[in-house]
Amino acid sequence: MRICADGGANRIFDEMSQMTNDLDRNRYIPEIVEGDMDSIRPEVKRFYSSQGSKISDKSHNQETTDLHKCISSIRHRTPDHEKANLCVLVTGALGGRFDHEAANINVLYVFSDMRIVLLSDDCLIQLLPKTHHHEIYIESSVEGPHCGIFPIGAPSTSTTTTGLKWNLSDAEMRFGSMISTSNIVDSDKVTVQSDADLLWTISLRNLT
Amino acid sequence: MPPLPTMTHSSSFLLPSSSPPAPPTGADAENAVSYAVVVLNQRLPRFAPLLWTRARLRVCADGGANRVFDGMPDLLPGEDPDEVRVRYKPDAIEGDMDSVRPEVKEYYSSLGTQIIDDSPDQDTTDLNKCISFITRNPPGPDNSNLFILVLGALGGRFDHEMGNINVLHRFSNTRIILLSDDSSIFLLPKTHSHEIHIERSVEGPHCGLIPMGAPSSSSTTTGLRWNLDNTSMNFGGLLSTSNIVEEEIVTVTSDSDLIWTISLRKHT
Repeated sequence: MRICADGGANRIFDEMSQMTNDLDRNRYIPEIVEGDMDSIRPEVKRFYSSQGSKISDKSHNQETTDLHKCISSIRHRTPDHEKANLCVLVTGALGGRFDHEAANINVLYVFSDMRIVLLSDDCLIQLLPKTHHHEIYIESSVEGPHCGIFPIGAPSTSTTTTGLKWNLSDAEMRFGSMISTSNIVDSDKVTVQSDADLLWTISLRNLT
Repeated sequence: MPPLPTMTHSSSFLLPSSSPPAPPTGADAENAVSYAVVVLNQRLPRFAPLLWTRARLRVCADGGANRVFDGMPDLLPGEDPDEVRVRYKPDAIEGDMDSVRPEVKEYYSSLGTQIIDDSPDQDTTDLNKCISFITRNPPGPDNSNLFILVLGALGGRFDHEMGNINVLHRFSNTRIILLSDDSSIFLLPKTHSHEIHIERSVEGPHCGLIPMGAPSSSSTTTGLRWNLDNTSMNFGGLLSTSNIVEEEIVTVTSDSDLIWTISLRKHT
């Protein structure tokens, strides 16, 4: 399933063919375009509508961000038996306006029972809920070695990791004191266990 | 309980040089404000020359020196690149020197830039080291009204961005502002009640308040479209994002350290 959040549709329309050298826009049609529709260009909306995209206009709801609406929509459309295996990949959530970035990171916390990965050219970020022990399998051909773990939103009194160059051992982490930045992945598998929700980030390799 | 002391904030440093910064208010009136600039290793924002000129001390963190060398002439296209490079010479380049190009380091060194070669240190980021350098070597006799303006701290690798935001929390007594083309962010420590003077010609209207490190059970604001009134904020719940500045002064009081962010206007 591919969903464009409002102006994300402009990005697909303008940039996908540049990136793939494929002038056929018909190969990249989102199933849904969702949001408050204040950024999508009218001709882009018409094009995708004519190609069968469902246009889900949520402009009446100003309480939530476009990403929030899209995640809700995906959750709503996913049958229960498929939810456990669903992973939502989000592009364009990082960088840009800082309050947007914070709101997008908040979506990971609000929907903490879903697997959501925020991706940029430089890195990916994912929530590690405190309710679970985490095993992170590292694909070293495409990601790493730089990584980090952050107690955004609340401090951690005890976090333990394996597989990193500078592992944490029952360590405290909080903003104002120590957080794990510029760490290095040292193994195929990283494990993390904590008493706080943590954000995991790993750098993405330049594949050109 | 005695009221909290007030901390005032202003982005007058973003005003074009043709218009003088607003007269200092409150405690600033006693001691003139001075600026230091730190350049990290990301593309320079469009207002880099303006801030550089305003600053009394300029420090590049490692590859930030490449950005100044390459980027300042690009931002001043009407001028001779060599003259621009001489005029926009950092006072110091600090870091482990694994990103700065050798010829860039030599060029600035030959012009008198101090080169401070630090080995990689897992406890402190490049920004951390630069802030320490500036606080140990303040540009004037008095650090009390020194504002450190940081370029290139947002975007890019997320762990760097988080490390940079952590620097705001670790140096909560130092005025540090992180700037990108899109946003300005700084810390509002819980120890103070805050008055943020809005320069509408260069910033806004979009703004936000984010409790990065710990939840806030009570925050109160004035001057926003959606004010907080003893409101709690936390990740997983409510954050104040996509808010709108409505008055020239925004006030904020909170039981938790908050990050204030405001959008920067495109023609800044």
